Amino acid sequence: MSEQVITIGNVLRADIRSFVIASRIPAPDVPTFGTFVRAPIQQGRRQLIGLVYDIRLQDDPFLRNLAVTLDETNPAHQEVIADQQQRAVPVEISVAAVGYRDEDGAYRYGYPPQPPMILKQITVCPEAEVAAITAQPDWMQPLLDSPDAPADALIIRTLQRAQRVHPPAAQEAYWLQAGRFLARQLGREPLRLETLLRQLQT
Amino acid sequence: MGAMLHLEKLHAAIQALGEQTVAQRRKNAAALVTAQEWLRHAPAPEALREQPLPSEEPGPALAVPVSDEPLDTVTVIATAPPRGALVIGVDGSQIPPDRHAAILYYLLQVGGLRFTYNGQAPTEHTRPTLHYAPSELYDAQEQLIGSQLGMRRTVMELEYLAELVESAAQPGILALTDGPLLWPYSGRSDEERAHLLPAYFAALTRMQQAQALPAGFVERPGGAPLLTLLRTSRPTVPLPPLAPLLSDQALMAELLPPGGRSIWLRRHSAMNERHQQHGQRICFCYLNTGAPDYPVIARVETPEWALAQPEQLDLLHAVLLHQARLLAGYPYVLARAHELALVTSQDKAALEDQLHRQILAHGELLRPSEKARQKGYLSARRR
Repeated sequence: MSEQVITIGNVLRADIRSFVIASRIPAPDVPTFGTFVRAPIQQGRRQLIGLVYDIRLQDDPFLRNLAVTLDETNPAHQEVIADQQQRAVPVEISVAAVGYRDEDGAYRYGYPPQPPMILKQITVCPEAEVAAITAQPDWMQPLLDSPDAPADALIIRTLQRAQRVHPPAAQEAYWLQAGRFLARQLGREPLRLETLLRQLQT
Repeated sequence: MGAMLHLEKLHAAIQALGEQTVAQRRKNAAALVTAQEWLRHAPAPEALREQPLPSEEPGPALAVPVSDEPLDTVTVIATAPPRGALVIGVDGSQIPPDRHAAILYYLLQVGGLRFTYNGQAPTEHTRPTLHYAPSELYDAQEQLIGSQLGMRRTVMELEYLAELVESAAQPGILALTDGPLLWPYSGRSDEERAHLLPAYFAALTRMQQAQALPAGFVERPGGAPLLTLLRTSRPTVPLPPLAPLLSDQALMAELLPPGGRSIWLRRHSAMNERHQQHGQRICFCYLNTGAPDYPVIARVETPEWALAQPEQLDLLHAVLLHQARLLAGYPYVLARAHELALVTSQDKAALEDQLHRQILAHGELLRPSEKARQKGYLSARRR
């Protein structure tokens, strides 16, 4: 599989359900809510798959110092303002684990056998991998019970994004499959299910 | 867990240090009045240049004026940097070799920011280099290198600056480095004589040939070369001695208004004579990059050949003021270069993780010393 590897940072802390990445990356490279990422686990034999569910810009004393001086309307500050837009910003990115890629290349959904180790590098999953992960709706299962991630908003955003990586002819089946999965999982929560399905329809 | 430093045991020492600092400041304030008087009534620069200079170091550093302007002349620039002006700033950082680490190496990284006054974002540049050959890690006495690392980094910074200047391929570039341009080490070691100083002078020459203006920016400069000149100019007049800790910086904070710069001076030293042998003698002026009631005094160093281009010196002055106003007195381009160069503890851990994996792939497992492991645990507990 030919793929462009985009590294977004290193693991700062982790448990079996989620992990946090510390990073200094330019603003345009900060991943968005609902991005699939992966991290090596078990000495790189397996790849944990997760979804970005929170992005926190950390306090930046350098920027605080500049903020009192810079004036967006001052022509003498144009270059510095442009520089700050490209400057690597310190961010913490939270990721919810949804499964892992096994040694045989197959995707297993649910919690991984081990969290990623501290300082392991995290990369963004390329489109082909997102298509493979979301071919089955089971990646949603760990999210539905997540105490930390905003599960419903994350599922909707991820389904919408993942739709684009599936062939147009398969998209109707993709939505139906996702809807049926959610109906089975949330059978005891009809209000939540209804809200989710309504948002998916829009 | 409580604080590990038992401050109550230092109570008396803290009190004494505070009292000493206040007493010193009062003494300096009194001496400063004398120094201002000396500056106002200093002999003409021609006379100062003709007075005999001490022939040998060590001794207090001494400066001599390079032009005929009175010593208390102040130059103020009101113009903004012109469109198209280009300033490049560099800075460096390092991971020193650690004999307790699992792998012996050192790393240097230089960061640079190329800032053109054209409304566009500046461009970022970095160069990391990993050093692990025994000849790089040990000196001639087979000791792990120490101070040599700072010297090598200084050379790498200036060489990288010269490279960025050459790649920009335009005349009139201001090439800034954070720190002095006059080689700040003794120059006595074999490595300096054989490799480092020739490389350093060569980098300065490359920038000269590229018609750039190299400059070193030293914020809060120590030393009193101008005060020493003033003192030596009055050998026959009984004047009260200056407080030993009084520096040129304090005198300049009184003389220079915000944005003002002093006359250009040349440090009289054996090292500057070595610069001179390579056509790269260094001169300096003082510049106040601060605000009213908040002086920020910097020493700005540049090769003597640059003094023949007064318009370039004015451009340097204007650019430094513009850059410094953004960050309370410190040039933006240097702050960003520092940020780009910085190797964090996370970077170090990620690098060592990759090194370990590389070695593990060959079936070898390395470990740090027990001392390093225990220190790591203890520092982790304190975080």
